[in-house]
Amino acid sequence: MYRLDKGRFDEFIRLLGREYRTYAPVRTAGRTGFAIVDSAGMIDTDVLVTDMSPKEIFFPPSETLFRYGRNGIKTDEVPERPIAVWGIRSCDVRSLSMLDRVFGSAVQMPEDDRFKDPYWNHRYGSSLLFGSACIDPSPTCFCNWFGGGPFNKDGMDVFTVDAGEYYLLEPVSGKGQEFIGGLACLAPAGESELDLVSAIAAEAASRMPEEEDLKEAGRKLSDIFDEPVWSELSAKCVNCGACTFCCPTCHCFDIQDESQGSEGRRVRIWDSCMFPIFTREASGHNPRALSKERVRQRIMHKYSYSLENYGEFLCTGCGRCVLVCPVNLDIRDVLRRLLHYRAEGKCNG
Amino acid sequence: MDNSYVPIRMRVEKIAVEDPERNLRTYDLAFEDEDAGKRFNYLPGQFCEMSILGKGESPFGIASSPSEGDLLKFTVNRAGSVTGEIHYLREGDAVGIRGPLGNWYPVEKLKGMNVLIIGGGFAFTTLRSLLVYLLGSRGDYGDINVIYGARNPDLFIYKNEIEEWRTREDMELHLTIDSPVDGWSGMTGFVPSVTGELAPGQENTMAIVCGPPIMIKFTLPVLTELGFPDERIYTSLERRMKCGIGKCGRCNIGSRYVCIDGPVFSLAQLRNIPEAF
Amino acid sequence: MNVTAKLRETIRELFSADKVDVFLAWEEGSLPMSSTPLFITDGAQADRAIFDPRCGNNLSVYFTKDSRQFRGKRVGIAVKGCDARSLVLNIQENQVLRDMVVIVGVPCNGVIDGKKIRRRTGGKQVTEVMENGDSVTLKGPEFSITLDRSEVLSSSCLRCVHPDATEYDVFLGEARAEVGNENRRKALDEVEALSSAQRWERTRKEYEKCIRCYACRNVCPSCYCSECFVDQNDPQWIGGTCDVTDTVIFHLIRNLHVAGRCVECGACARACPMDIDLLLLNLKTAEEIKKRFGDTAGIRIDGRPVMAEFREDEKQEFIMG
Repeated sequence: MYRLDKGRFDEFIRLLGREYRTYAPVRTAGRTGFAIVDSAGMIDTDVLVTDMSPKEIFFPPSETLFRYGRNGIKTDEVPERPIAVWGIRSCDVRSLSMLDRVFGSAVQMPEDDRFKDPYWNHRYGSSLLFGSACIDPSPTCFCNWFGGGPFNKDGMDVFTVDAGEYYLLEPVSGKGQEFIGGLACLAPAGESELDLVSAIAAEAASRMPEEEDLKEAGRKLSDIFDEPVWSELSAKCVNCGACTFCCPTCHCFDIQDESQGSEGRRVRIWDSCMFPIFTREASGHNPRALSKERVRQRIMHKYSYSLENYGEFLCTGCGRCVLVCPVNLDIRDVLRRLLHYRAEGKCNG
Repeated sequence: MDNSYVPIRMRVEKIAVEDPERNLRTYDLAFEDEDAGKRFNYLPGQFCEMSILGKGESPFGIASSPSEGDLLKFTVNRAGSVTGEIHYLREGDAVGIRGPLGNWYPVEKLKGMNVLIIGGGFAFTTLRSLLVYLLGSRGDYGDINVIYGARNPDLFIYKNEIEEWRTREDMELHLTIDSPVDGWSGMTGFVPSVTGELAPGQENTMAIVCGPPIMIKFTLPVLTELGFPDERIYTSLERRMKCGIGKCGRCNIGSRYVCIDGPVFSLAQLRNIPEAF
Repeated sequence: MNVTAKLRETIRELFSADKVDVFLAWEEGSLPMSSTPLFITDGAQADRAIFDPRCGNNLSVYFTKDSRQFRGKRVGIAVKGCDARSLVLNIQENQVLRDMVVIVGVPCNGVIDGKKIRRRTGGKQVTEVMENGDSVTLKGPEFSITLDRSEVLSSSCLRCVHPDATEYDVFLGEARAEVGNENRRKALDEVEALSSAQRWERTRKEYEKCIRCYACRNVCPSCYCSECFVDQNDPQWIGGTCDVTDTVIFHLIRNLHVAGRCVECGACARACPMDIDLLLLNLKTAEEIKKRFGDTAGIRIDGRPVMAEFREDEKQEFIMG
């Protein structure tokens, strides 16, 4: 563990900026998200769960795949400096690991280069993640349902704790150690500082909600695939994409062409399984024409299919969808209700 | 690093109009870059995203067989803006493809077995690939039995080859149309019922089915009734696709992605996939 | 008896008199200061219904969101003034049959915008909310903030001139007619005072936040095209990216599509996860329509949507020069 006095935080961010394009939580026009920073003053150090998740750093809402014109096809230059992220929460770090399973390669053919998404890998592969402990989890946090926790370090390069007057930095990966190892603005942490961290961790853990037993979730959900409960649950959903776009693990996208004369670009843009057009075929046939089917797809994909494919849920319990849903269709309630649903058609949840 | 989103440049070598309405055209495409052609290894059942810059992409099954040479064959039905644009292509024009994508018919398993091929309409593309592939090393397989249906005689694709297949003695071809037409010498009736009438034997036989979703839906139970076990019935699914490499989520059904886990699935696999039909 | 109690009683009565098959109301939500739509199918569930400033959802959206949902059913619905206007508009546009709905008006003094609260508390846990006249006190484990009601009310409510339903079968209290509200004029004055460059700057700044989730469109009872122009992909009318050149087209065209049809309920703005001010442009459009045609959307049950009607005495200077 190292100690970084807040008085030297700006120096640290500037040092980081020399080697990395540094992203951190930033507040603009009342909303929070990750943006490039070049000084500590730009960073919103208080925000817990940013409105927009850090997936937008690695998988932007719209992204040029390539440009085309008379001289053929050209992909954009890749910026030289790799990405560093400061102030990313444990749940969001895990979401990136999950996305890496989708984009990094294909789980079916892990060695096959054709299934490695170059855009994702350029950004994520060389990134340096400074994870941030959650001192004061929010009432919508439920990362502990999925094996996470306010002090979980999975996937981080450096784990950081805001201890009031200073930050404590703990290298988690070799890459993290390498970067912070020789920095002059850091000092080794002492006994009392470590004690303080333990105390903060215990306090944070006590604020987490009761865990839901999800061990059998994948199977249970498959078992009730055809039950009427899905219609009841989806009745109030208006099928917007707020949940999927704010979700740090949702990753469905569309590919579209934009052209002007003989020049143009092919872009990929976020898409959502909530939209009817997502699966509608050229013939007009739509395999998921009903709202119920689309809501079910979202739930099944996150809590059943992903378990089968990747061995983990595509949900980190960050609570963003809970906050943004315009009809308060709370995913925690949905899960509880589904998991306690009995096939006889009764709900005891 | 490979970039599977960037299309390979192809040249339209030959265009054949398949129907009097001129809605179905078959394109033979040649690789502009020889190396790209060498790296392009495929098997019957795989597909490509055909790319028109400025309009977008659409997936098409590869209709040629790797045993035929270097040209790739695609048959395109004019339905939307991308396919409409493809129909404007002329011989010599450039076009992009991404692929080969997806899995393939179980050609290894077919060795030493009888093969029953059932197809409908212009989805006969990958079945043509398979048939040509099998005929190319005819000795490796047992009986080859083909049932091919179309709405009317005009809508069969690859008519010249059909004539040739008809006269071959080492395979059987049953053509059927939906309702009677003067001068038609083949069978009449929908593919599922014709399959039931012909009642091909299931012994040591693998059934490969490809066609419109409704045809597949009603043909599979007929095969089951004829005694085909689920493991010996294969079909190819159609879903809206974009990336073709298992990322964009569009073709996800159950825990599978049609673009990389499919499009070819055995009925045994499909039984465990919700929403497959 | 408070409004919630009256609402519950009314729902029970409607079911016991067999006047409705479904009743749309609100119930307690899962977050502090939230409510969630409630579909009641049995009078015994009436006690889950609530009405208070948390109940922001415009439930009329469920008639148009999926027209199959209530086909052949008699639907009861609790409506605030703006929600009632949506319903009236939907009836005018033949999306809802008047005979098939039982409209229960609730007296509304404005609803809360959860985002405004979250902004003030930094997302911290609010465990208790106390309303006291014009002030609201939010309490959490380590804080207590007292705010003026206007700081947490939905912006649409701050400018509201039709707080209560103009069309109803039952009203839980005394329905007020149009009320004066200087905030509305103030907001208009503010935007009208801007130069066109300033207006564009403001428009650009708001709409560049858009992430194209379409929550605004999907919670809007007036947006019910079976296929929205942004979803049409063959041909595709507008680009799908989040670049402001695309997002602004979406919002401006949507604004025109709901011209004379927007009831200013503010559901779009409350639903927007990016906190875009979606109301100002609609307000301005509504005002222009009123000036030109003398109409306000969704007020008269026997009226017609202004943009769907032609009157000989309309000003036609844009044609005549």
